[in-house]
Amino acid sequence: MRKLVNRGSLRPRVIATMVALQGVSAAAWAQAQEPAADPWKVDIYYENDTRFRGKDATGKRVGLSKLRNTLQMDADKKLGDGWAFHGIFRGTYDGVYQLNKDEFGKNAGSKSAADVQIQNTAGPAALGVGLLGPNVPGNPLSVHYGSTVPFGSGVGFTVVDVVEAGAGLPNLGGPGGGPGINKFLDPVAYGNPTAFPGTTAAGYGSGAGLRVLGDRWHSTTTGGVAFAVPVRPCDEDNRGCTDFGGYGDKDQRELESPEFNKRLDFIREAYVRKTFNLADGSDLFVKVGRQQVVWGRTDLFRVLDVINPVDYSRNNIYDELQDIRIPMWIAQTEWRMGGSESMQDRNLSLVWNFDKFRANNLGQCGTSNVILDAGCLFRGLKNLWDNGGTVSNFAPFVPPGTPGDVNGVFFATNFGPNQIGLRTVHLPEWKLKNTQLGMKYEGVTKDGLSFSLNALTYISQLPSLRAVNESGTVNPFTGGNGNKSPFSGPAQGIPTTHLIAFDMHFPRVNLIGGSMDFQVPKLDAAIRLEGAFTDGEEFANTLKPELYSKNNVFRSVIGVDRPVFIPFINPNRTTLFSAQLFWQHIFQHEEEQRAGGLAGMPDWKNTFIGTLLVKAFLMNDRLSPQIIMARDFNAKAWVASPQVEWSLTDSLKFAVGGNVKGKSDSSDSRWKWDDCRSCNPYAPYTAFADNPTLNPGSHGLSGLEPLGRFRAGPIGAAWKENEVYFTMRYKF
Amino acid sequence: MKKSLFAALLATCFAGAAGAVTEAEVDASFLPYKNGFPAFPGLQAGLVINKDNVEKFKDILDYANYLTVKNGWREIKVGPTFDFPNPKGYVEETKKNAGKTKLGTKIGEISGFTGGRPFPEEPSVSDPRAGEKLAWNFKYGINWGDNAAVYPFYWKYRNMTTGQVERTLKFNFHFLNFKYRTDHPPIPGVTPNASNLYRGIYVNTLEPQDLKNTQLLIQKYDDDTKLDDAYLYLGFQRRVRRLATGQVTDSFLGADLMIEDFEGYESRVSDMKWTFKGAKNILMPYYKHNEMKLTDEFKDPSGYKFIDFGGQGGCFADITWQLRKVYEVDVEPLNPNHPVGKRVMHFDAQIFGASRTVIYDRKGELWKSFTIGKAHPDHHLPINKGTGIGLDDSFEVVDVQAKHCTTGQFKGQIDPKLSPPNLFQVQNMRGGD
Repeated sequence: MRKLVNRGSLRPRVIATMVALQGVSAAAWAQAQEPAADPWKVDIYYENDTRFRGKDATGKRVGLSKLRNTLQMDADKKLGDGWAFHGIFRGTYDGVYQLNKDEFGKNAGSKSAADVQIQNTAGPAALGVGLLGPNVPGNPLSVHYGSTVPFGSGVGFTVVDVVEAGAGLPNLGGPGGGPGINKFLDPVAYGNPTAFPGTTAAGYGSGAGLRVLGDRWHSTTTGGVAFAVPVRPCDEDNRGCTDFGGYGDKDQRELESPEFNKRLDFIREAYVRKTFNLADGSDLFVKVGRQQVVWGRTDLFRVLDVINPVDYSRNNIYDELQDIRIPMWIAQTEWRMGGSESMQDRNLSLVWNFDKFRANNLGQCGTSNVILDAGCLFRGLKNLWDNGGTVSNFAPFVPPGTPGDVNGVFFATNFGPNQIGLRTVHLPEWKLKNTQLGMKYEGVTKDGLSFSLNALTYISQLPSLRAVNESGTVNPFTGGNGNKSPFSGPAQGIPTTHLIAFDMHFPRVNLIGGSMDFQVPKLDAAIRLEGAFTDGEEFANTLKPELYSKNNVFRSVIGVDRPVFIPFINPNRTTLFSAQLFWQHIFQHEEEQRAGGLAGMPDWKNTFIGTLLVKAFLMNDRLSPQIIMARDFNAKAWVASPQVEWSLTDSLKFAVGGNVKGKSDSSDSRWKWDDCRSCNPYAPYTAFADNPTLNPGSHGLSGLEPLGRFRAGPIGAAWKENEVYFTMRYKF
Repeated sequence: MKKSLFAALLATCFAGAAGAVTEAEVDASFLPYKNGFPAFPGLQAGLVINKDNVEKFKDILDYANYLTVKNGWREIKVGPTFDFPNPKGYVEETKKNAGKTKLGTKIGEISGFTGGRPFPEEPSVSDPRAGEKLAWNFKYGINWGDNAAVYPFYWKYRNMTTGQVERTLKFNFHFLNFKYRTDHPPIPGVTPNASNLYRGIYVNTLEPQDLKNTQLLIQKYDDDTKLDDAYLYLGFQRRVRRLATGQVTDSFLGADLMIEDFEGYESRVSDMKWTFKGAKNILMPYYKHNEMKLTDEFKDPSGYKFIDFGGQGGCFADITWQLRKVYEVDVEPLNPNHPVGKRVMHFDAQIFGASRTVIYDRKGELWKSFTIGKAHPDHHLPINKGTGIGLDDSFEVVDVQAKHCTTGQFKGQIDPKLSPPNLFQVQNMRGGD
């Protein structure tokens, strides 16, 4: 595959193209169509998109989720000599941050730490045995007796130190034995420094502006891990804010009007194009500038259509891709060879994406569209790294010196900075080697079969979290880096792996694929096929020391379009049925049943998603009801999106619709996955009973966070985001 | 086996008849008025036929046209009958190949055809396959010639009851004959042509905003038994979609006509049963564009003005009609699921334009009245002068059941440069904006 896309194999074609360009003659027809120069043609549109969302998993009604006002200008000008310019300029203002500031703006999230309850399954059990003394107001440790604890009130230095001492583990010091070196943080509620001199209180910042990770789409009291996530715009609360690839560090103004940023995203498109007639009768089409390059033949799914990243923050997966592809600076050439003795049409195109890397915008935590809730996971992890934080159900409640029990209960635990979380985001810088190159051969056979063969080398638009293990991380038990000095326990020298401290990377991916379409007269249907094989994609994998693995992937879609006369809808006009089945297969997929649950790769080995569009046309197509349905068969999640679109005039169009999602009752258990609480990076402190060795490795202790989102998929992870909407679009 | 032999014998028999075509018959085909123009009692240029006098002229009006006048929806202004030319090369090719074309054993099969009008001889109602021959004459007729464009082309969707214009669409239509070209190079065909395409139609939508950049490409195979390939590029999806066959017989972008209605009839000969009902003289929408009432509402930068519309709901072209010889053919879909029950098509005997078509639904009730106004090329844009191609210049499809219509106003240009072969490739649709 690499041979197809490496520079060596591309170079001869580039040279051939350049040579052919020398023979350029006047573009007779193009010039005939396009006068030497003519006035600007400008169209201006205004669109309002207003949405309301129902209750999320907390039971609270979200209310207004979008009040986006868009002004868009399309501009065209023929420049002369066959060149033409096309530009789309877009600016939006989303009023939701002002009008629903309790949900998405500067007042979003908790009002105090007490609002952020982190599950603490060990609390009642500890209370039962009086582990931490009497449950009275005067005992600061009694804060750990609750089944949940407020943000910042997990077990910290003091408790861990006692446990370590009780276990006969190496003398790590502590309140009773001198300055301690374990780096867990005690709760502020202890009343430091008076209660426990010499310890460090959690400096996590305000308890306001936080939510518990995943609380929008699932319960936070199911025994898994969770932690607090800042949700306010970054000018209001910069905890966890960093650039995850075009999002994650935005202040309120940037969230309100996302196009006006350093990457000049208000320039949706701006390119020039020209067709050169070559001496041999073929054409060379050139298009250079900020643009979208669309490959493939299927809707909704991006199997081949991966050249431009996508902005899912605009409306999750539910907007037209045209409106959410992030245009890139791209040079595109098409050598349109035309027909031959054996082919009706032949084209060879080269696409060079020379823009600085952009990732898919997965949505900043605290905004209305955070696909897979990933932006919240990242912000939460980043906050954990920078400031530390309370993680639910983490430290096993077992007698000192006893390995953890995957079937047991766990204390919410206060981690300190630089121990776990997301350390650094490695965004590819602009370098020639970081540019992206694609090639497509597209043709039509003499029997009318349209097909394409595609090859692309690109940088993954989705992030990969790679465990950094002992590279610069702090072992919270020893204060050292991994199992190194000053630690001198039994695991001394054993490399630390499986550590839930990550760097974010965007790996290079190579893709080969193809597509075709044809009609089946007997079925009155058109069939569309698309497939792609990739090399280099990275997936979370708790069985690997770095907690990720590189896997080859095959994706395909088969689509069927069939118009059907349904007399009761419209006796004179067909209703369109368009069905698609998406299949993704991950090669070398790893999944193992461990003592605590399933471990390995949370992504399904085989993913199947079906979609069905039914679209009717009434009143000469001015009224068009439709419903889009999708089902993720593995996740057992579904969505139905009915809509009615009405063109009142050529300039004024309305749409009203809804977006209803659901899941089967057993989905939660299907979505749970190894959360690496039991990955044992720091033996013997983190060892579990079923494998009491000093070597790291997961025992499969599972929950919905953080990896259940990959099981639930974009439909399942948004199943509590039911909404209704109204849009109005007017052309001036 | 016996059936096949019989069919072969029949075909041979027809071939023999075709072989007997004389040059005089070919001349008569292209010059049906050589011996004088048709007349009808009381009919003269300048007469206006309306609901008050329509009964007198019922015999020279097709059924739907008669009804629209009788209902008071329109008036028909009568103009003088005059000859419409055919391109010189097309006529010569017809003469050269006269008598060589044979029908195959099945509808949609033909052999020996190399160009021109395949069956120039006068059809006979006693010939059970005369309708099919006329269909071939239409398929391989002039239409827009070797290549041309309607550039631009305005469609309006109108409520016939209120007159409200619901939508206005602006297109560019392009036409290209890959084969049997007679007057513009490359002659006789575009090469290479691996798929053996006969014709291509490419449509680009310029307005309104929600349809902007929607493109349609139809590739018709010379082999009439092969289904056309049709592709739609949706501007908002930026993707080319192959159309399922059923979409060809569906409303095109909400209009009152379907892709199959383009140019009068756009599907295959083999999709229909063709029954010749006889030759007759009826009023046909043939006129000189420059002498019609024109409108400047579209402000074409060249100063060109379009045919105006009036009548009930603005559904009817404000043009003159002339008495012309036509061949009436009943056209019935072979596909039982086709939305149309029957078309009654009237092919102009001189240029084979399908200018008047009466469309019935599957219940046999009148559904639509379809008119394509033809303009003489010498009285239109200078570029069209002398081309010998009768220009589609206005159309109306009136849905008499829904009281709704779609009207079309053309700026037809016989300019090969506007319709080069590379415009008719799928990839061209992807290369725009």
